[in-house]
Amino acid sequence: MGSESLRKLRFAVIGLGKMGLLHASLLNTFEDVQLVALCDKSALMTRVCRSIFRARARSTGVVVVNDLDQFSELGLDAVYVTTPISSHSFIVKDLYAKGIVRNVFTEKTLASNYDQSKEMCEFAKKIGGITMVGYMKRFSVVFRKAKELLAQGKLGEPYSFSAYAYSSDFLGLTKDSKSSASRGGALRDIGCHIIDLALWLLGDLKVSDVVSSYEIGDSETSASFTAVNSNGLEGRFDISQRMPNYRMPEFGCFIECPQGKIDVNDDRLRLTLGDNSQKIWYRHDLKDNVCFSLGETEYYRENLKFVNSLLENRMCQPNFDTASKVDYIIDQVRKKVAKYE
Amino acid sequence: MNDQVRKLLLVGDNPFQGISHLSQERARSRGGAIVSPGGQAANIVLTSLKNGADGFSFSVSELALSILRTLRERKSIGQVSLYAMVPYAFEYVRVAAQTGTPGLVKSFVKQVTLSGDVGAMLEGLWSAVRMDPEGFVNTYLAYELSRIKSSAGKQAKLVSVLLNEVIGDMGLALDFDWLFRSFIGYLSKRRITPGFNTRNFPYFVKKFDEWGIDLDEILIVTPFNKAGFQMNPSKEECERTLANMSCPAVLAISVLAAGYYKPSNVVDYLASLNNLKGIIVGVSNEQQASETFKLFRERL
Repeated sequence: MGSESLRKLRFAVIGLGKMGLLHASLLNTFEDVQLVALCDKSALMTRVCRSIFRARARSTGVVVVNDLDQFSELGLDAVYVTTPISSHSFIVKDLYAKGIVRNVFTEKTLASNYDQSKEMCEFAKKIGGITMVGYMKRFSVVFRKAKELLAQGKLGEPYSFSAYAYSSDFLGLTKDSKSSASRGGALRDIGCHIIDLALWLLGDLKVSDVVSSYEIGDSETSASFTAVNSNGLEGRFDISQRMPNYRMPEFGCFIECPQGKIDVNDDRLRLTLGDNSQKIWYRHDLKDNVCFSLGETEYYRENLKFVNSLLENRMCQPNFDTASKVDYIIDQVRKKVAKYE
Repeated sequence: MNDQVRKLLLVGDNPFQGISHLSQERARSRGGAIVSPGGQAANIVLTSLKNGADGFSFSVSELALSILRTLRERKSIGQVSLYAMVPYAFEYVRVAAQTGTPGLVKSFVKQVTLSGDVGAMLEGLWSAVRMDPEGFVNTYLAYELSRIKSSAGKQAKLVSVLLNEVIGDMGLALDFDWLFRSFIGYLSKRRITPGFNTRNFPYFVKKFDEWGIDLDEILIVTPFNKAGFQMNPSKEECERTLANMSCPAVLAISVLAAGYYKPSNVVDYLASLNNLKGIIVGVSNEQQASETFKLFRERL
């Protein structure tokens, strides 16, 4: 069958903040995808986007709406939900309930709490579509290298780790920050990425203790906690949006195994073996090129994974079930903080 | 020196801004978010010029503007050809992170109002009423030009204004040819060369070709380095596209692959790229400035 006779996948994006526009842009570069609709509840954003998409609308029919119901007749193959976290649950349930779409990509975190996540997983299971959650750090070449080294098994079973997620986003803020709350606090905003990476690299973890938590307004801007697994692995997470000199958010993990140590962050991986010999891989060494780069290269790979899963009709990771584990851990940390208070 | 046309050499501002694309750790170890106060950075720019650089390429941030003010106070601004990159996305993303998108819009409107550029304000207001995206582009550019001019003064030689890759590549992906046409139109009327920073060079050239936009009158700023770092979709494809261009419109960045190589390791590679118009390279101190630009001027 010639490629001309293949129908393009029809995609829509809900939420026209920076993540919505980033995904819409990347999707528009895929040959197998047609971006057909955008949605934002803000009348102003809808007006602005209608105006800037007007030329495209003439040539390709992309529509900009402010009501999900207008998606019903579009024959969509997949929808991206990139709205604030607090709205993920009801938007996704609405999409499923109204039969608008079966395949859904949701920006991280999946929901505002584990109960909502569980409910979304059940809905998705009933519908039977493909799901994905935007834990894009898994698609970074350096973290993939760490996964590859651990999977080889030559280093042995990890017995200790420390993981961090730092940014300077709220450094120096003293009053309540509405934005921090809408972004879900440090745990949901940046902590979720390192929790997902740790679960991906090390397997299931259980929160053992909360070391500290600092709140501004209703949400934490930093938190430290420890976690364990059933094989005796122990580790610590340090998450903060108030660290000095983190121009961009940074994520990293130090993993100790019997035969060596892995020290990995967004930029490089350092492997130290038992004889103290070291090897370092930077992004440069790990073929970090993509067909179209916008933001970080991992965004392209993440979108490619979702699109290919649809084309091949196979499950995609991290899906709703996988991502709900992150929400579970965040809930555990918050429950422990509340208990101590 | 080879027998090619003399390459344009520009000193970049990434090290001044505390940016390292090799690793954030490295940037922090150099001293954090802002490593060079205006005076020190101005010395580095002047040392670069003395040793063969032709100009200064910077993102329009408060730090870069303070460097321009220092150069002006020292009566050196006239010697420096200026290549300004807009917007300084980091500042806008940071405001959006702290206050949300509505807060960013309010902050931007306030800045334009405080800039005192009546023309920009009126055009902005009119564009808002008509929801005219080209008008927004013009208002934004008028605002940035007024910031540069008020810091650099009348003696300054603003050669080019370049669109940051975050916006440019998004426009490219979304087929927003109007964005590029507006940008080019506004700047060309003011005899400023329009330029575009992209991490998708072959895609950029293909799109401009499709849209029928002439590459002869613009600058393209894009990574070229031995490692293929940030060269998408591949080093080979970027090199092939460069070789096939009919005019030298490309300024290479990330030539040291963000500090992965030393200047002496890359000079032969850069010299082999005949179709390059020039390079932009950042330096952290005066010694580096002197060594790097001497070498590049001699060999490129």
